[in-house]
Amino acid sequence: MATRKLEELRSRKRKVLDAGGEKRIKAQHDAGKLTARERLDVLFDEGSFVELDVFVHHRSSNFDMAEKHAPGDGVVTGYGTIDGRLVYAYSQDFTVLGGSLGEYHANKIVKVQEMALKVGAPIVGLNDSGGARIQEGVPSLSGFGKIFKNNTISSGVIPQISVIMGPCAGGAVYSPAITDFVFMVDKTSQMFITGPQVIKAVTGEEITAEELGGAKTHNTVSGVAHFMGKDDEDTLAQVKELLSYLPANNLETAPSVPTADDINRLIPEFDDIIPENPNKAYDVIKIIEKIADDGRHFDVAPHYAKNIITTYIRLGGNTVGVVANQPSVSAGSLDINASDKAARFVRRCDAFNIPLLVLEDVPGFLPGTDQESGGIIRHGAKLLYAFCEATVPKVTMVLRKAYGGAYIAMCNKELGADLVYAWPSAEIAVMGAAGAANIVFKNDIKNAADPISMREAKIAEYEDKFNNPYEAAALGYVEDVIEPRTTRQRLISAFDMLESKRESLPDKKHGNIPL
Amino acid sequence: MKKYNITVNGTAYEVEVEEVGGTPVITSSAPAPAVAHVAPTSAPAAPAPAPATPVASSTPSAGAVEVESPMPGTILNVLVSQGQAVSDGDVLLILEAMKMENEIVAPQAGIVDAILVEKGATVNPGDVLISIK
Repeated sequence: MATRKLEELRSRKRKVLDAGGEKRIKAQHDAGKLTARERLDVLFDEGSFVELDVFVHHRSSNFDMAEKHAPGDGVVTGYGTIDGRLVYAYSQDFTVLGGSLGEYHANKIVKVQEMALKVGAPIVGLNDSGGARIQEGVPSLSGFGKIFKNNTISSGVIPQISVIMGPCAGGAVYSPAITDFVFMVDKTSQMFITGPQVIKAVTGEEITAEELGGAKTHNTVSGVAHFMGKDDEDTLAQVKELLSYLPANNLETAPSVPTADDINRLIPEFDDIIPENPNKAYDVIKIIEKIADDGRHFDVAPHYAKNIITTYIRLGGNTVGVVANQPSVSAGSLDINASDKAARFVRRCDAFNIPLLVLEDVPGFLPGTDQESGGIIRHGAKLLYAFCEATVPKVTMVLRKAYGGAYIAMCNKELGADLVYAWPSAEIAVMGAAGAANIVFKNDIKNAADPISMREAKIAEYEDKFNNPYEAAALGYVEDVIEPRTTRQRLISAFDMLESKRESLPDKKHGNIPL
Repeated sequence: MKKYNITVNGTAYEVEVEEVGGTPVITSSAPAPAVAHVAPTSAPAAPAPAPATPVASSTPSAGAVEVESPMPGTILNVLVSQGQAVSDGDVLLILEAMKMENEIVAPQAGIVDAILVEKGATVNPGDVLISIK
């Protein structure tokens, strides 16, 4: 009797594990994709994943649904450990009814979302689904609605990571879009609201699914996705690395990772890393690599708005979020996309208690009619808002240019930087010397016997006064001008000092960030 | 209309220059706008070994990758010539914008298919500068 019952259990489990059957699993592999369970095996520590709702099945009898066997209702949910830390996950199974989302498929996701929130652990969603299960009708839409609501309620409480590993179309895209981080697998994943066929029917435009919503498009053009992996394994390895920089929830801090990298390591290369000529660019990533523990950094949205770098590093073992102007792309100027990218990054860091380091070399906001008509005022405001609102430790290091409104936007003293340091190469001014001299000394230049040499003299005069950090330092806007080689040492000391910082905002439902 | 005082061989001249289109914000704050405006060829000399005076040539062929200007600015130098082989990341031209000499690099390896701008040209964001196939 007991044996018979055990056998029944084993046979039932086997059916679930067989998922969509050999043929469909082979098709999944032939498409260069792992199955839902293989992906979880790659993501979680070996043998740690515990599955929930194993026997859940749809109850629909619409059309031919009654005869359709759907193991797990097309999604695997559960929890396990990644690098020894608790993480929840759901993984849609494309081999079962195309991973389509029906009532019970959604219920399983909703349940695991609620457990992750209750326990305060990150959740990773592996998306590979044809979309809403049409046969089931409105209950599948209701399912999407519940998932979106949970995504929103959990936002800023637990890290939510979405990984697109196949199709993700229509309403389904909005769950990833609400979450904190979106990964896509190159060539095997697509995201769009309306697919190529609908677009062709409505507008006549012909476009491939890959061009419309592939990983490259969303990582470089739309900014919808933040990371791109070359295949399933590579993408999941990146997810693990990201998790190592994040805390489990908004009440904890990210795990400290011991390092052999000396906290007092001097960086003599910094003495001449900034070109003599202020018109010349350099690669700020080289500076970030030298500052960080063991030269490691994990870039968020590295392919989008490359004029600003948003990246996680560790300093003395602790996670720090870095926002850095990139002078080698678009002169490091702030534009619409850079503002959006950086503002979102600042808020992610603030939500999860990750201190912020700003490396500033910004010539200003990018001029242009497309920028103005695209709403750079509204988008740039997000960056100011995000810095003002962030209560985590904030340290700003002015490397070179810090001009005008962009100087403020890159977290100056008044926006709440706890410490502002400057390199001797810093130029903190309302604008560049040439432009400023033309305005300030307009009459002197006009009335001079030799206007050209007068103009040059006046530019030099303005440079002497403002193209340095000392005017700002004299007024207390800059705490200290430091030897560049001591940067790592000074930053680690600063964040160490600020570790116990407590700052609170007035009670409110929520602010009204200019979206 | 803009007025400039220009000294040539010690004699001062007052020159009026009318701007047609262009981007006054950038050009008027460039390091030497007066000189640059009147005689673009005497703009800050480029240190790079530029190939013998590249000229704007032809139109991009079908299927070629178009390299667009990311910002409004002035072409300070063109460092490649038509038909030249380039690798991914090679500097194609220098765009002066935001008071910076911005290197415009090849997005992929290939052959320079067409060069659509000349040294001194004023460009807007989205203008095609060069195509590579």
